Amino acid sequence: MANFFPRWTNILPFKIAICAGSLGAGAVAAFTWYGTPKTQAVGYQPSQPIPFSHKIHADQLGMDCRYCHSFVDVSGHSNVPTSNTCWNCHQHVQKESPKLQPLRNRMDPALKHPDFGKPVEWVRVHKAPDFVYFNHSAHVNRGVSCVSCHGRVDQMEVVFQDQNLSMGWCLECHRAPEKHLRPLEEVFNLKFDAEDYLAKSNREDFKGLKTQEDLGLKLKEMWQVQPRESCATCHH
Amino acid sequence: MSKRIWQHPEVPANETTVSWRSVGQLENTPEFRTWLEREFPRGAAEMADSEDAEVSRRSFLKLMGASTALAGFGMAACRRPESYILPYANAPEWVIPGKATYYASSFPRPEGATPLVVTTFEGRPTKLGPNTLHPDNSGTDAFAQASILDLYNPARSKQVLRDGQPSSRADFEKALAEIAKNKSAKVGIVFGRDDSPTRARLAKEFNENTKFYAYEALEGEKVKAIDGGQKIVVDFAKADRIVSLDCDFTSLDPVGPVTPFFSRRKPEGASYDKKASADSMNRLYVVESAYSMTGGMADHRLRVKPSQLLIVAAEIARQVGAGVFGDVEAPDADTKKWVTTMVEDMKSNPSAVVAGSRAPEAVHLLVAAINAKLGNLGEGKPVKVVRTDAGALAGIEELVADLNGNKIDTLILFTPSNPVYDAPSDLAFREALAKAKTSIHFGLRTDATARACNWHVPASHYLESWADARTATGVYTVVQPMIFPLYSECASEIEVLTALLSEDGMLMTGEGEVGAPSPAYIAVRKTFEGIAGEGEAAWKKLLHDGFLAGSKYDVGEINFAGRVDAAIKAAPKGGELELIFATDASVYDGRWIDNGWLQEAPDPISKISWDNVALIAPKTAKELGLYDEIVPLQTDTAAVPPDHEGEHRTGKLISIKVGEQTLEVPVQIGFGQAENTVIVSLGYGQGFNADDELGRPTTDEANVSLVGVNSGFNAYPLRTTAASYFAVLAEAPAKTGVKYSIAATQEHHSMYGRALAREISTMTDEESHKDFDAQLANVKKQGIDSHMPPNVSLYKQEDRNGQPLISDKIHQWAMAIDLSSCMGCNACLVACQAENNIPIVGKEQLAKGREMHWIRMDRYFASVNGDQDNPEMIPQPVACVQCESAPCETVCPVNATVHTEDGLNAMAYNRCIGTRYCANNCPYKARRLTSSTTTSATRLSPTTFTKGRSAKSRLAPPLTSSATRT
Repeated sequence: MANFFPRWTNILPFKIAICAGSLGAGAVAAFTWYGTPKTQAVGYQPSQPIPFSHKIHADQLGMDCRYCHSFVDVSGHSNVPTSNTCWNCHQHVQKESPKLQPLRNRMDPALKHPDFGKPVEWVRVHKAPDFVYFNHSAHVNRGVSCVSCHGRVDQMEVVFQDQNLSMGWCLECHRAPEKHLRPLEEVFNLKFDAEDYLAKSNREDFKGLKTQEDLGLKLKEMWQVQPRESCATCHH
Repeated sequence: MSKRIWQHPEVPANETTVSWRSVGQLENTPEFRTWLEREFPRGAAEMADSEDAEVSRRSFLKLMGASTALAGFGMAACRRPESYILPYANAPEWVIPGKATYYASSFPRPEGATPLVVTTFEGRPTKLGPNTLHPDNSGTDAFAQASILDLYNPARSKQVLRDGQPSSRADFEKALAEIAKNKSAKVGIVFGRDDSPTRARLAKEFNENTKFYAYEALEGEKVKAIDGGQKIVVDFAKADRIVSLDCDFTSLDPVGPVTPFFSRRKPEGASYDKKASADSMNRLYVVESAYSMTGGMADHRLRVKPSQLLIVAAEIARQVGAGVFGDVEAPDADTKKWVTTMVEDMKSNPSAVVAGSRAPEAVHLLVAAINAKLGNLGEGKPVKVVRTDAGALAGIEELVADLNGNKIDTLILFTPSNPVYDAPSDLAFREALAKAKTSIHFGLRTDATARACNWHVPASHYLESWADARTATGVYTVVQPMIFPLYSECASEIEVLTALLSEDGMLMTGEGEVGAPSPAYIAVRKTFEGIAGEGEAAWKKLLHDGFLAGSKYDVGEINFAGRVDAAIKAAPKGGELELIFATDASVYDGRWIDNGWLQEAPDPISKISWDNVALIAPKTAKELGLYDEIVPLQTDTAAVPPDHEGEHRTGKLISIKVGEQTLEVPVQIGFGQAENTVIVSLGYGQGFNADDELGRPTTDEANVSLVGVNSGFNAYPLRTTAASYFAVLAEAPAKTGVKYSIAATQEHHSMYGRALAREISTMTDEESHKDFDAQLANVKKQGIDSHMPPNVSLYKQEDRNGQPLISDKIHQWAMAIDLSSCMGCNACLVACQAENNIPIVGKEQLAKGREMHWIRMDRYFASVNGDQDNPEMIPQPVACVQCESAPCETVCPVNATVHTEDGLNAMAYNRCIGTRYCANNCPYKARRLTSSTTTSATRLSPTTFTKGRSAKSRLAPPLTSSATRT
């Protein structure tokens, strides 16, 4: 009767607490690792000096991406258009719109504005760290569309970051490029859907292909696509 | 447990060649052995001196700890920092952001311009390369590669100076207008010796009151000998035997495009596509005093004192039958034998004899006579005399005489040399300059001459100017600007000349009114139209190609008969001990002293950076009692060397006296140098500040920037017109007992017995070099390979199915360096620095072995059969060799260095944590750590192939239509 509980029960609450704590911590850790995004970049949507809408220009007006981002297929940078590209149309179009005032200040000599000749200060949305070198032309010339990395820009009123652009994310595609390859003439067609395309296509060599993966594997073989995975591919 | 010490046999059993890189190695001094055993110099691991200690890890954390914490709590740390994209307002034509645009231009130089293709990014030139379309293309040397740094040098002259004080461009323009309007004023204009057709055309438009001169510090007596505005051009493709009398024609003293010389030394032909045959190779004989790079290439080399050059030339002339010149001493028996053998060889082959620019006039005339006698001289022959556009211009002696005779009101100096600093001291140029009413200096640096003149105008760099030039054989080559002058006060030479010729003297530079071209553009275009006719097509082709095809100099002739005897009488006499004023491979005549890349590039022969020294042959050093000063063979403190290691390495100063002038300069051993000569290079010691180790006077501090200050010793005061190449020392150099620290790289990155530089010979005499194949078999066993057990590689070379483990079966990179052709000129070293933004570290850090160069140029002296006084010189360029089974890749604890699919060793800088295990394991010691403190941004870099040019070609080209057929 004197020692009802055996000795080992002295330490039991402590042990239970530790176990429960560890389980809890484990659950939190697991949730943090698997349940939360690895980067905080997705969804970044800064406001721009001129509220340029890709939905109007790329979707409604049907402009090709390359009218403005003209060097994407020859250079590492996909250039943001220079002001004279905008001015080509907007010296005539929407002449009264206050949204375009910053552009007019910079481009119209008649206004004699102090900002004349200065660049428009766009806020950068997609940025890889300085120790990474990404080359647009290498990807665009091998069938990787804008959509794969930038999302449906043609539906964005204000550009936001759609993918996390982390190294792991890049490697996912490098290890399995078939998920993102498409015929070159479809690279800038942001509405492309592989299954619809294949269903409608009567190309001899696409016969029997049904999904994006099928198409991608076929193109990978046709073009001998061998995405590099060594460090020096991006970290020079 | 400390590092395992291998006891290598010093030299394989039957090896007769002894090779060494430095005096310490040759004498096997205790200091050298200690240095060798420890890979990095004592103290390199710590930041030992007081300045460095301030930034030790602990104090760094202390300093940053507070602000790091603050940053964490501040709002800034929570938000992602905003970055901006600022495109152009109006896109310039041809500019693609991220892609280079290439333009043809050239770098004007006295020996002929260097044709270039300039890489520009968004309008900014970043790298210079050779123009391979150009007929006179000879690559780019270290000076051409480093010249781009002068464009961006913060110490470059930016402002007009009036009597050494800052003034304004507007004030200068007023003064210039006055001069231009006064057509009766006596004007003297001094050019450099580079040849420019537009400048020559404009010079003819001046009236008779303007007199033209030309001056370069190191022009030598060649311009007197080859007179009438002519020069010698050698076509090395035509010469089977080449004799150089102290002419370093492969690097510092060119006489014609040098690539054909090297092409003739490749037994498989210039493109390595023919069957190897020794018959097509040329043979080079060099007679010289100091080791030069041409001497390093020589097949046969004779060392003579500079005064004896004349004797050798006269002997050659006598033996070939060009004439006997009585007033010349007879050569000694060894020299005579050497000359006889050489002349035998020359008689039956087309040959070319060349003399160094600074040799006495008599030597040049004798050489002309020899060439004429041998049938080498003339059109279609190896040696040609050509007429330059500049024509005959008066020299510095006439200039000083005119100044002293008050014959010049206004003196305008366009010469890139620095006459107040480098003109022969007996001319007293500074005093003569003061006699001109107005003196105007025009240049890239605010050097001594700039500050001594009434006006100094900052010059536009050649990459910012319109001009034209002639290359060595006279090909008309354009100099076109890549960018507007970076500083608004700059003007180019042709713009100033145009202003002087105009009625109102208004100086217009760059684009005056928006859109109007520079007057220099108009002038160059007019000159070109005079040569090639009008029209857009020819002009556009000139701008595209960089040159006018088919243009060349007219042939001239040299009249040497009757001049030789007088020249011999006037030639400087020799003496027991001769001091040679040498051309420096880093600063030339002193103009590059503020160029960090050139200063840090070790001298190709002495391997000393940032300073000059006096070089003495070992035998002479022993005779003069100086050898022990340089190489103490036994010291009381041998266990802890008092100096000779790392940043404590010093040279002892000796005092050299010529006439009334004394120079104190550190002394080092110069192997392969003629006995009884002391060699000091020119161009150093232009200014000192309070930090100078020897406390020299700081009066000239403003003449140099922080790069060139406290650098070296000025030998120009000892130089006179009579003794402009060498001077006789009346007494032996005296010891001063003072020490000066020296940054010598020759013992850095020792190879610990791994034989990198291996040599075999095509000679087939009976003694040792019988069989070429036997030599080849033997050379595989040099160095460590002679006693190493067979290699057991940790790398698997094949996979389970026996297939080679190469990832990319189509593309694999390789780089080959033809070591037979390499002369050790450092052009690749500087080019690599330019391409990869490799930093300079300065003298102190370099002395500790921390130089950052990705390519280093090892230089070995090798004596065959024990003649250590006249050794061969073997340059060995060492870069990362991109090992397939790289020892550096396996040992990196964080896998920061990996092998790419296409065979390169790659470095991921951001992953490196600075362990340096890779550098430890590299057998070539080719890895460098770019940061000396352990922060998160350390980077260890060996490899260059993954960016720039090779990366460009790895990008996917647009697919051809066959692959995308619709």
